[in-house]
Amino acid sequence: MASPPPGIAEILNTVLQPDLIASSLRIATPLALAAIGGTICERSGVVNIALEGLMLIAAFFGTAAALAAPTALGVSPVAAAWIGVLAAVIAGVVMSGLHAFTSITLKADQVVSGTAINILALGLTGFLIQVFYDRQGTTDGAATLPPLFVFDVKASGALGTVWEWVNGMFLGHTPLVYVTIVIAIVAQWAMYRTRWGLRLRALGEHPRAADTVGINVVKGRYVAVLMSGALAGLAGANLTLEQVGSFSENMTSGRGFIALAANIFGRWTPVGSYLASLLFGFAEALEIRLQTFAAAINIPPQFFLMLPYVLTVVVLAGFMGRAVGPAAVGKPYEKE
Amino acid sequence: MRAPEEITARNARWMNVAQKVGTPMASVLLAMITGSLIVAATGGNPVLAFTALFQGAFGNPYQIGETIMRSTPLIFTGLAIAYGFRSGLFNIGAEGQLYMGGLAVAWLGIAFQGLPWFLLVPIMLVGGALAGAAWAFVPALLKAKVGAHEVITTMMFSWVARYFVSYVLNGPLKALGPDGKPGTVPVSEMLPAQATLPKFTAVLPFLPSNNAHVGFILAIVVAIVVWLIFRYTTLGYEARAVGFNPFAAENGGVSVARTTIMSLCISGALAALAGASEVMGVHGRLSDQFSAGFGFTGIAVALLAKNHPLAVIPAAILFGGLSAGSGYMQLNANVPDKLVDIVQALVILFVAAETIITWFIKQRQKEATKHG
Repeated sequence: MASPPPGIAEILNTVLQPDLIASSLRIATPLALAAIGGTICERSGVVNIALEGLMLIAAFFGTAAALAAPTALGVSPVAAAWIGVLAAVIAGVVMSGLHAFTSITLKADQVVSGTAINILALGLTGFLIQVFYDRQGTTDGAATLPPLFVFDVKASGALGTVWEWVNGMFLGHTPLVYVTIVIAIVAQWAMYRTRWGLRLRALGEHPRAADTVGINVVKGRYVAVLMSGALAGLAGANLTLEQVGSFSENMTSGRGFIALAANIFGRWTPVGSYLASLLFGFAEALEIRLQTFAAAINIPPQFFLMLPYVLTVVVLAGFMGRAVGPAAVGKPYEKE
Repeated sequence: MRAPEEITARNARWMNVAQKVGTPMASVLLAMITGSLIVAATGGNPVLAFTALFQGAFGNPYQIGETIMRSTPLIFTGLAIAYGFRSGLFNIGAEGQLYMGGLAVAWLGIAFQGLPWFLLVPIMLVGGALAGAAWAFVPALLKAKVGAHEVITTMMFSWVARYFVSYVLNGPLKALGPDGKPGTVPVSEMLPAQATLPKFTAVLPFLPSNNAHVGFILAIVVAIVVWLIFRYTTLGYEARAVGFNPFAAENGGVSVARTTIMSLCISGALAALAGASEVMGVHGRLSDQFSAGFGFTGIAVALLAKNHPLAVIPAAILFGGLSAGSGYMQLNANVPDKLVDIVQALVILFVAAETIITWFIKQRQKEATKHG
């Protein structure tokens, strides 16, 4: 006998927990970091399809560094995790340097260059897992980042419930979750309130005009691409060192592309990218929780797993006509 | 004696051909050199590795058969990507269309297994191609009507296709186990013999034992057809016009939206044929991991072929050979087979950045003037 189908009340009761918001924030964080990286990059006039590969390679080197640090440097697990984060950022910057070199200096097709980096990242990480760890698929688990705040507060009654929700939703996260929110706000401010931001936007809208008034187009674009590499690197670190600890092949599973969609949905602004990522994060968190009822409500689990990808297409389809990207994005700059 | 301008014209033509063939070859060479450096840097022996790779690809009749077998889906996906590129579209989601093609032929082969092979095989191939076209249709429509970038939408559709195939193989199409109950492995039933593409050795029994199948011939025929489409038909002309300059094409009376939809759907159909030929010629049934990233390797194939449908064939054989040799290399030179993916990415990079050669020369000249 199958158990009776769960009522709406039971589903809501299981789904609507502080943990739903908490995991939305957690899932949104790497997406948002990559999306903000994409925003900065595209604002400078360079398409960054390579976000997926940058995240992947950063995730690998982050994990590898965090695994090696305790024995190599004799540091504590927490310090090792932070060394992993640093290594991930460096890996992201180095790989994005390749994208910058091919698409800015060599004026290669930016989408093709990005694709090459994605395939390179997949091949190189798979190759290095075998070389470093003599096996295929996944690495060992490294130490993960501890939560930033740990409050040992016990309250009872209504106040206790409120505290439980606030604590459960917002206070149990690793530092990267908060850092990402700060990055979104600072990047938004910098893009619209600083000279750097004005110049960055000029590069992507009308590089010739920017060049005419003495802005170095090549240098400006290099800086933007490398920044996107650093952010994608941080996103990669977040994928492994935030919770799981280990790296597995192709673990980004399309997140770089979803991040690009979030950047478009967020109208090429950092805060917009963050909020769009939050929407995708919420959808995924909801999907994970609803999956527990998959068998009971007779929907195969694969249909839940499709949801983030379907949502991305729906968002693009519904929004695209009204969102206009930087005018010169994707075009190499030819100095006269 | 020839007029000087005639000689220059001839020279220009030869230069053109040399450049067309030379830069891809230089790219492959550069990629292999870089690959060797990576092997050496990680403690391997590059000479041993590439010797094993070559032996694994072309060393004996059996391995040549492996190379042909592995290049077959790559001809299809290479054509798919090239067709897209020619029309100004980047069908990065060929992998998804490939899976839908495989799914369609598996279903058709089981559903219509009563038919004789000369009806069944064409029905399956056409059905598979249509499934791929259908899978590309929504991204095509979104590209044409609202401008949603096909790189993101086809990629997302790829993931959806993978999960859909996984669902089908855990549900409606799942093979029964020996006890008559649903089995534990997510695979379909084996296709009946009349629903498969026969091996070369089945048609020509005197050939030494190998796994190449007639899908390879089909792939070459399709490559020629695509070449003819581009060369002689309005369909191909309009696709090239839109790929070259959509604004000029629109002004010239070509419907950019219609051509975009058409081209991406044809690209999807070509990619789906890769899945169809793998299921019908290699595995004999559908499984959820039957493609070794053929949709992505197709990008390297198309770029190396400079999107020329006939040049796709040798490019696919090169990557098919790399793939066939990779296992042999891992076994005999103790270098991970993933090296082949790295080489593939590097080929794409070097082809895309073909100015790298002129850039190097310029840098040299700069330094020469500095020191001189």
